Parts: sequence; C-alpha cells; structure tokens
Amino acid sequence: MLIQIILVVAVVAVLFLFVRSSGAVYVQASKRIALVLFAIANIYAVMRPDDLTAVARVLGVGRGTDLVLYALVVAFMAGMFSFYQRFRVVDRRYTELARTVAIREAELVNRERGIVPEPVVSTGDGGALPTVER
Amino acid sequence: MVDPGPVNDDVWVVIPVFNEAQVLEQVVRQTLVVFPNVVCVDDGSRDGSVEAVLRTRAHLVRHPVNLGQGAALQTGLTYARAQPGARYFVMFDADGQHRLEDASTMVQVARSGAADVVLGTRFAENAESVPLLKRIVLRTAVLLSPAGRKLKLTDAHNGLRVLTRPVADDLQITMNGMAHASEIVSYLGRSSWRVREVPVSIRYTEYSRSKGQSLLNGVNILFDLSVRQRGG
Repeated sequence: MLIQIILVVAVVAVLFLFVRSSGAVYVQASKRIALVLFAIANIYAVMRPDDLTAVARVLGVGRGTDLVLYALVVAFMAGMFSFYQRFRVVDRRYTELARTVAIREAELVNRERGIVPEPVVSTGDGGALPTVER
Repeated sequence: MVDPGPVNDDVWVVIPVFNEAQVLEQVVRQTLVVFPNVVCVDDGSRDGSVEAVLRTRAHLVRHPVNLGQGAALQTGLTYARAQPGARYFVMFDADGQHRLEDASTMVQVARSGAADVVLGTRFAENAESVPLLKRIVLRTAVLLSPAGRKLKLTDAHNGLRVLTRPVADDLQITMNGMAHASEIVSYLGRSSWRVREVPVSIRYTEYSRSKGQSLLNGVNILFDLSVRQRGG
C-alpha cells in the first residue's frame, strides 16, 4: 500500500534528521515551515472531511480520520525529537554555567584551605571563564 | 605502600566523586603519596564525601548540582589545566578500583613521549579478573565502535586514562552522563593523537562492584551517543 511506504519513509526521514541535524538555520526554518503546513492541512481536513477521505482512499487508508492519526504519529515523533534536541542544548549551557560557578568557588575555597600556594590566575576554559584580576 | 618514584608535581589526578565517602579518604590519601596534585570533583554528593576530601590535601571542586560523571571529569580537567605547571592529567576512579602502580606506569609512558594519550586496558594480560558478562559486553562495545576498531583498542571503557597537556587542552567532554567514555574514544579516533594502551588490573571489590554501573546502562549510553548534538 502507498500509505505504508509514505509512513515508513517519513519516520526514517524524521530519525535521520534527528540524528544528523546540526542546528543549522535551514533545519530551523524547515521545522517551522513544516509546522505551518501541518496546521494548514489540519484546518483544511476539519473543514472538508470528504476531501480528506478521498485522499485517504487514494493512499490506501480507509477513512480520512485514520490518515490524520498516521500523520499525527509522525508529527508527534518529529516534535518529540526536536524537543529533545533543544533540551540537550539547554543542558549543555546549564553545565557550563554550573562548571564556571564550581571552579570559581573552588579557587577561593582551596586558597582558604592553604593548599594553593599562590593566587592562581585562571586562564579559563576557552573564554568560558574570565581572567581573575588580583 | 606504593613506591613514590619520580616527583610527579607536573601531574594532576582528576577524581570524579559521587557518594563515595566510604572509601574516598583512603583512596585520596594513597593517591597523594604518589601524585602530590589531586583534584576531587564532587558531583553533588549527599554523604560525607566532601568532608572526606576536606580532611586531605586534595583540591576540591564542588558542582552546585549533580551533573554526571562526564561533566565532573571535564570540570576536573578544566580546573587542573588552570593550575601552573600542569602537564599530565590522570583520570582516576574514586572507588579504589584502580591501582596507583598502573597510573604511575601510564604516566611514565606519557612522559617518555611515546604517546599523547595512554589508556588502561583490562584485557591485555589478566582478562580473567573481569567478570564474564562484563567482559563480553565491554568487548562488544569496543567492536561496535568504529573509533575503537581504528585505534585497535581492547578496552574502551576503562576509567584510568592519562592525557598529555595538548590533548587535555583540546578535549571537550560534552556527554555529562556515562557516555563520556565512548565520547572520548570517538574523539581520539577522529584526532591524530598517538594513543597507547597499557595493561592495568582492576580490583573488583565488593564495594566497587556495588558502585559499578549496571550493564543495562549501555542502552542509555548508546542512545545518548547516537543523538549527540553536533555543533550548536
């Protein structure tokens, strides 16, 4: 059936994009375009259910609502992956923030404990930490 | 006790710590005998781990929140890199499963200039000391990783590693959780650093067994790695 091929290709494409995408501008843009197109298609499907059923017949799905369900599954997967990626970016920033705080505090604490012989001038981590003036 | 050997004042030992109070102080004290510079990165422990470190002369860095072992290692490296005279960086586990003799040997290999990165391997000489199931899984992990095959590694997930300065400056561990081991291997596979494996033995004590990661965690690691954020 046509619909099976389309669905499998769509799921594989979503997975591929998810694993490969680099956060490039075109990826961002295509995600947004896809969202808008999906919304328009949904509005149309609600307004003209008979057209939807016709399309579903062509694709080999019985009813229009079934077609919507399938599309929803793919869209849900894509949305979840996108969200996960976004989460990873935030997580990374959060880590950098925590690390910067930890190292700043550690320099003070270890100097107080007397195990750092002289004031340490931090050269920082690729610009993540500003140089400490003493 | 361990023979102190050469003065290792250009060596920094990074020990990620998460709820290891039971054995930590002893591990740190023994390490300090061989390597004068030790930094313990506490990853939000809720037991007495912090106090244990404070009783020693080891440096202490505390994550304000729990971030994971990979993040703790990177924090330790970042901290140690900023210390004057640091040239060699040793990653060492807090649970006492690594032997200091092995770490010293590995530092000597790095010092000799024969390698930029020295990794410990459990499988070179006395593989029988590793529990069977663990052996099978670890072997498979190496075979599945393209970088591991390229580097002809026998053990990709050994926590004992020695980095020379240029490698430590270049390496950025972004896998906060347990996937950092695979991340380091794939980083080394992509880079042109000279990697050497040195046989080490692991003390599978009752304690380190109980702390060791579950093999099921491999599933999480594979997932994290396959969806790694590239770039931004």
